[in-house]
Amino acid sequence: MLATLNKYRAAFSVGLQSNLVYRVNFAVRGFFSFFHLIVVFILWSAAYAGSPAIGGFNFAQTFTYFVALLVVQFMIGAFNEDYQISEEIRSGLINQFLLKPVNYFGYRFSIYLSARLVTGLLILVPLLVTYPLLRDYLVLPAEAWRLAIGLPALVMSALIQFGIAYCFGLMSFWLLEIQGLVILSMAIESVLGGQIFPLDLLPDGLFRLSQYLPYYYQMYFPVAIFTGRLNDPAAALTGLGLQACWVVIILAIGQLLWRRGLRLHTAVGG
Amino acid sequence: MNLAHYARIWLTSARYSIARMLMFRGDFLIWTLVELFWMTVNLLMISVIYRHTDTVAGWTKYEMMLLVGTSLLIQRFLMGFFWSSIFEMGRNIRSGNFDFFIAQPGNVMFMATTRKLDPDSLLNSLVAAAVVIYSARQLGLHPGAADIALYVLLVGCGVIIHYSMLVLCIAPAFWITSAQGIEGSYFTLSEFSRLPREAFRGVANVAFVWILPVVIVSNAPASTLLHGFDLRLIGWLLAVTAIWFSLAVFVFHRGLRRYTSASS
Repeated sequence: MLATLNKYRAAFSVGLQSNLVYRVNFAVRGFFSFFHLIVVFILWSAAYAGSPAIGGFNFAQTFTYFVALLVVQFMIGAFNEDYQISEEIRSGLINQFLLKPVNYFGYRFSIYLSARLVTGLLILVPLLVTYPLLRDYLVLPAEAWRLAIGLPALVMSALIQFGIAYCFGLMSFWLLEIQGLVILSMAIESVLGGQIFPLDLLPDGLFRLSQYLPYYYQMYFPVAIFTGRLNDPAAALTGLGLQACWVVIILAIGQLLWRRGLRLHTAVGG
Repeated sequence: MNLAHYARIWLTSARYSIARMLMFRGDFLIWTLVELFWMTVNLLMISVIYRHTDTVAGWTKYEMMLLVGTSLLIQRFLMGFFWSSIFEMGRNIRSGNFDFFIAQPGNVMFMATTRKLDPDSLLNSLVAAAVVIYSARQLGLHPGAADIALYVLLVGCGVIIHYSMLVLCIAPAFWITSAQGIEGSYFTLSEFSRLPREAFRGVANVAFVWILPVVIVSNAPASTLLHGFDLRLIGWLLAVTAIWFSLAVFVFHRGLRRYTSASS
């Protein structure tokens, strides 16, 4: 057990080092994300000029939602895990894992965790720098249940994020190029995951439907709990159950793709 | 080198791009869908916001759709005619493959930035145009031939401005070879062109409306279609086009002098 843990701790540490090499790239990315926040600020403050509440929330609440979403994205979002997996399959680098007593999912997940540790800490830099400007527009509710349900929701969101990227990466066993598919699904994720607008602003039926899809639990769900867009603890608990179902389903699909894909894999190169 | 010569070169590139598209039909289909989806995402956002409010910075729903449609139209043209070439230019400068363009008989900037077309983006420009036409009809606009010609001219200026911005975003590759992801800065800036000018206040107004051309580029053609001829606005856009294009040409040629070919 301890030996197993040590294996993945080594992977984590390698991942940490290689991600620290790209710290400037991540910092630049974080910096540009704050330009996106300027767009959000300008657009939504103009929308709020006509009505003091949109969907029952004031401007500060909506803006807080977008800031939280950005931070969570850097903390748990899968950035390029799908491409990395795809590259390893296409180039044959994956062969080395087939010969070693290493679980590929575990190895990849350790690297993902180390990468998010780096990006998650780096996003705090622009956040702290701009905090004096943002402060007046940030409102966070402070009930204890939000932490109790929000934190496990955040962990499961990370699993869903990584799990989906893992599945897309494994599709390289069948497809030559996954980039188009990934960007296509990103467009869907960005809408149904609440990155374009808070999902609760959708018409009622669509909002309810979205709660049964995995995208809802990729990011919107924990962020909605933390920023006060979801205010009913009972509903949050139900959500947590649904989220757990999606985690299981997505990880199972990943496992299935891995087994089926390996049968097809011809181990070119290496 | 005359214009006919460049037209011939460009047509040859276009023919090559179309032949390429026919070779990779599956790719073409996927990328057409990708762009279509992202355009829909933008329109969905407008629809959702206007479910909850009637005006944004004085713009009604279909006025806003017309603005976003115009911005998408300009971006589709940029993507269709220049994006692949300019994006690859950054990589080629880093790898040394840029040598290939210097050796060609023609203006280097022209050769390097017009080599590949993206037929999928050009196809989607029709969708963007349809959004503009649909919004105009919903607003009950009846533009005359002169208005339409003016709109087309201003969209053309917009494409030149976006082209210049993209070249300026990529040109740092001549100086800092390790810079990756600078292409992303272009997309960040282009987000601003989907916002109405009246929404900008204070510092943001100075930075994004007056200093950078990212807002005026879509607002000028959209406003012209909505409210008719406005000499000040059109003069502004023409001047901005001239300034930014000159700047792009200047920076590109400065960078070209720094180019040292492959390092390995």
